[in-house]
Amino acid sequence: MADLSKNLKRSSTDREGSQDTKRLKTDGNGVDAMSAKANPYLAHLNEDGSDGAADRGFKSPLDKLERRNTTADQALKAEDSDINPWTGQPHSQQYFRILKTRRDLPVSKQRQEFLDLYHASQILVFVGETGSGKTTQIPQYVLYDELPHLTGKLIACTQPRRVAAMSVAQRVADELDVKLGEEVGYSIRFENRTSPKTLLKYMTDGQLLREAMHDHDMSRYGCIILDEAHERTLATDILMALLKQITDRRKDLKIIVMSATLDAEKFKTYFNAPQLTVPGRTHPVEIFYTPEPERDYVEAAVRTVLQIHASEPKGDILLFLTGEEEIEDACRRISLEVDEMIRESDAGPMAVYPLYGTLPPHQQQRIFDKAPEPFRKGGRPGRKCIVATNIAETSLTIDGIVYVVDPGFSKQKIYNPRTRVESLLVSPISKASAQQRAGRAGRTRPGKCFRLYTESAFKKELIEQTYPEILRSNLANTVLELKKLGVEDLVHFDLMDPPAPETMMRALEELNYLACLDDDGELTTLGHLASEFPLDPALAVMLISSPEFYCSNEILSVTSLLSVPQIWVRPNNARKRADEMKQQFAHPDGDHLTLLNAYHAYKDAEQRGEDLKKWCHEHFLSYRHLSSADNVRAQLKRIMETHGIELVSTPYQNKEYYVNIRRALLAGFFMQVAMRESANSKVYKTVKDDQLVMIHPSTVLTAAYDWVVYNEFVLTTKQYVRTVTNIRPEWLLEIAPHYYDLDTFEKGEIKSALTRITEKVRRRQAMKGGK
Amino acid sequence: MLQRSTSSSHHQMTSRRDANNEDDDYDDIPLQHQRPFGTGLHKKPIAFVSASSLSTVTQTQPTATKPTTGASIADLYLSMVLPDDTATTTTSRSKSAPPSTTPTTDTTTTTTPSESTPSTITSQPTISEPSQLCPICNLPLPPSDDPAGLAAHNASLAHQLCLPYSPPPSALDRTRMGLTYLSAHGWDPDARRGLGAEEQGIQFPLKPRAREERLGLGAPAPARKSKEQGKNGEEAKQGKLLDAKKVRKMAVEDRKRREEIREELFGDGRLEKYLGVGRVVQSAPGSRAGERRRWLGT
Repeated sequence: MADLSKNLKRSSTDREGSQDTKRLKTDGNGVDAMSAKANPYLAHLNEDGSDGAADRGFKSPLDKLERRNTTADQALKAEDSDINPWTGQPHSQQYFRILKTRRDLPVSKQRQEFLDLYHASQILVFVGETGSGKTTQIPQYVLYDELPHLTGKLIACTQPRRVAAMSVAQRVADELDVKLGEEVGYSIRFENRTSPKTLLKYMTDGQLLREAMHDHDMSRYGCIILDEAHERTLATDILMALLKQITDRRKDLKIIVMSATLDAEKFKTYFNAPQLTVPGRTHPVEIFYTPEPERDYVEAAVRTVLQIHASEPKGDILLFLTGEEEIEDACRRISLEVDEMIRESDAGPMAVYPLYGTLPPHQQQRIFDKAPEPFRKGGRPGRKCIVATNIAETSLTIDGIVYVVDPGFSKQKIYNPRTRVESLLVSPISKASAQQRAGRAGRTRPGKCFRLYTESAFKKELIEQTYPEILRSNLANTVLELKKLGVEDLVHFDLMDPPAPETMMRALEELNYLACLDDDGELTTLGHLASEFPLDPALAVMLISSPEFYCSNEILSVTSLLSVPQIWVRPNNARKRADEMKQQFAHPDGDHLTLLNAYHAYKDAEQRGEDLKKWCHEHFLSYRHLSSADNVRAQLKRIMETHGIELVSTPYQNKEYYVNIRRALLAGFFMQVAMRESANSKVYKTVKDDQLVMIHPSTVLTAAYDWVVYNEFVLTTKQYVRTVTNIRPEWLLEIAPHYYDLDTFEKGEIKSALTRITEKVRRRQAMKGGK
Repeated sequence: MLQRSTSSSHHQMTSRRDANNEDDDYDDIPLQHQRPFGTGLHKKPIAFVSASSLSTVTQTQPTATKPTTGASIADLYLSMVLPDDTATTTTSRSKSAPPSTTPTTDTTTTTTPSESTPSTITSQPTISEPSQLCPICNLPLPPSDDPAGLAAHNASLAHQLCLPYSPPPSALDRTRMGLTYLSAHGWDPDARRGLGAEEQGIQFPLKPRAREERLGLGAPAPARKSKEQGKNGEEAKQGKLLDAKKVRKMAVEDRKRREEIREELFGDGRLEKYLGVGRVVQSAPGSRAGERRRWLGT
């Protein structure tokens, strides 16, 4: 262990850490060029690899093992030993308790089979249903075979979700009896919990992609495990294509692609790799359909839950709905109805828990609570009901679920490159998803699945497979990343499901307008710099150009606030008070400035030493999101300092203070501008894309300004733009003249308005010149 | 009916004969001696020939080119209508025919530029079999040393129809930077391909489909929408209709609007003029429909 500290990698990381703290204190002075040695992404390059194999100061059962040539028996022995083979410390009682349950997992029986295939092939497709234990166990099996402490080559395991990366890392740290952040760590955007000791690293797929941008061969890893590949997230798809290339160059790199669904054939043919399947523990699930289509699926879902509670035997309920609002609404209605059932007909107690991505982790944890006991002995059974988004479809294992209610919808992102609108729409799920949902009911014993649609709708209306994210997303960020990853030919890049040509063209053009790509599609200096930021290109460009507008401190804050979920809290029972509180921070010129005001007030309260949680609660702000914005800000600031981007502010007393910020917003968001259709109209038209939109009701804007810049497009039943700030059209012509080249505009009100403004500006300049 | 059809066949026959006569005139008499078209038509009696004499007429035609070209034309039609069969028959014929006629065919084809110029055709009955068939449309090709004939062949409807279907070019704006990039890397916008290693990706972006909020899966969206709208609209209207003054006002407005429309349509009398005064428009279609119904019934 002591020898590890000799490791160059560690010392370099330490040095980098101390530099950081120094820089933070001097605030902006640390612009000194950052050498490759100090760059954490390049730290592995400093390793000469000779010191890794040195003995670690304690005897370990692993010493006798030969890397990539171990057997399951050897590993089992090492796991059974009294001292921890990774730390040299004695194993705790808890360790052995967990070990016993681990040995009962379905994957455990196939450990030898797994190792044989792992040794035989460079790429392996592993299929195991949810609950087979693959996410926690397979990386550990690899750990005992790779023996990363000998080579210094880590094991990475990617997860599509941040929460999953964190919670699984914690679980595996417990299972290995080590401290989280040491031998087992995790790395997600804006948070890195690893140390030089780290051997096994859980990370989001996006994070691994970002690391690859600085290390094209992924040379710090010996084995990369892509978990939940069936979800086909954008980053996982890119990683698969990338790793397929890298495995040709690096024959020592092993890849495991793990999928929870049985249709792994596609992965198998794509990688031309062997497949290992571990059956899950499943019981038969009886499926019911409605005879007629439902008019209101939320209503129908609530009624079905109550019906189950009234008439079905013991067992927990899982209801799939689409979003936070809908889920909270359904939870409230179910609770109210159940209370009445208890009063009227002596029903059992029921605990109702919501579950969605933005829920705070401790509340997410509540879904694992035990179902309530019956009111009296021998009374009607108590049960719990979990109302979840499709998080609960594959990535979470909740035991005790016997009944599944499936309305057949989920919120899905979709991007239209012709109108440049990316929106979250409630859409029908796929047949594969529906089967997966039904499967959740058969985890502990035979279950039932109630589908709130007809059988013919299942056959006719549902597509076979959910479209992968890459077909449904704006690819601007992805293209920038791919360019940085050194992918030259975007046309023949070997993706599993290549996106539509128009989507790719749009992404290239957006980056071209942002000056991140030149006309030939090559990265520009600005593009290189923008790719250093874990942000959307528009945000990154806005941040990089903000010193020109003398407000980089403020734009940094705004960027951080836009990178976290909404900080405004608006509980249903106190909407009016919440709106009043928001009005306190309101700036008449727009929502971006209002966000900034709230953040400044938050920092002010922090300085005064107030209890921030209480302060946030009183002001209807989300403490969790504000503090994470604060964290994001610190991370982004470090990146800015590393690349010598100045942190400046206009004095607050200067009347240009807010004007500068509004102008700086346009440097990144000049493509997201809308003009009011006519006087007295509430309808706006987006520039060039000609989409009719309204300003989202959450805005603080009271006056109807003619020109606005918006942060996002929200498509529900109506088209809204959210987070909106008033701007002046002259700025557009000045800040983004290449985009506002009048020759490229189609005839219309916007063109004539811009022409008038050009004329006005020219006359004004002529007047000035005349004087 | 029967009578009509026979009379029409008579007409056809006579017209064909006329055409033949005209051809004869055209061939034999020099241009300057020909009478202007139509002169003396009334003096020439129109000869009606019975069906049996039709064949004798064609057989006794002085020009021997006609029957052979007719046969070849029949072949052409067959090759158009039944491409598979005729391909075999024409090839078999060209296989069987050549041994006897090859030398003459060769000479005639080389001497006569093409069969489209009938004035130069001699009375030799051999030129109808072309030596080559077009690989695309299976029609006889003009000789290869006749570029004009080849061009005419390529432009012919039969040839064009046999060409493999070529889709219209993509509607993408060719000046877009993204398109320039993609085509620089070998993607052809008109080839109807996607991206990817084998250009196997999707060609067009997925389309978002907006949904009625909370409407269950498989429920008919528009029906429900109109129903609900109708309900809401009715409620709203009921609220308004309670006011008698407003009802009166609406009725007045309604009448005014109708008047305006009528004025616009009929005001200047153009419509009446167009239709003609006093014509009953309605009865005619009705009777015709009745007639058609009777026809369909029998």
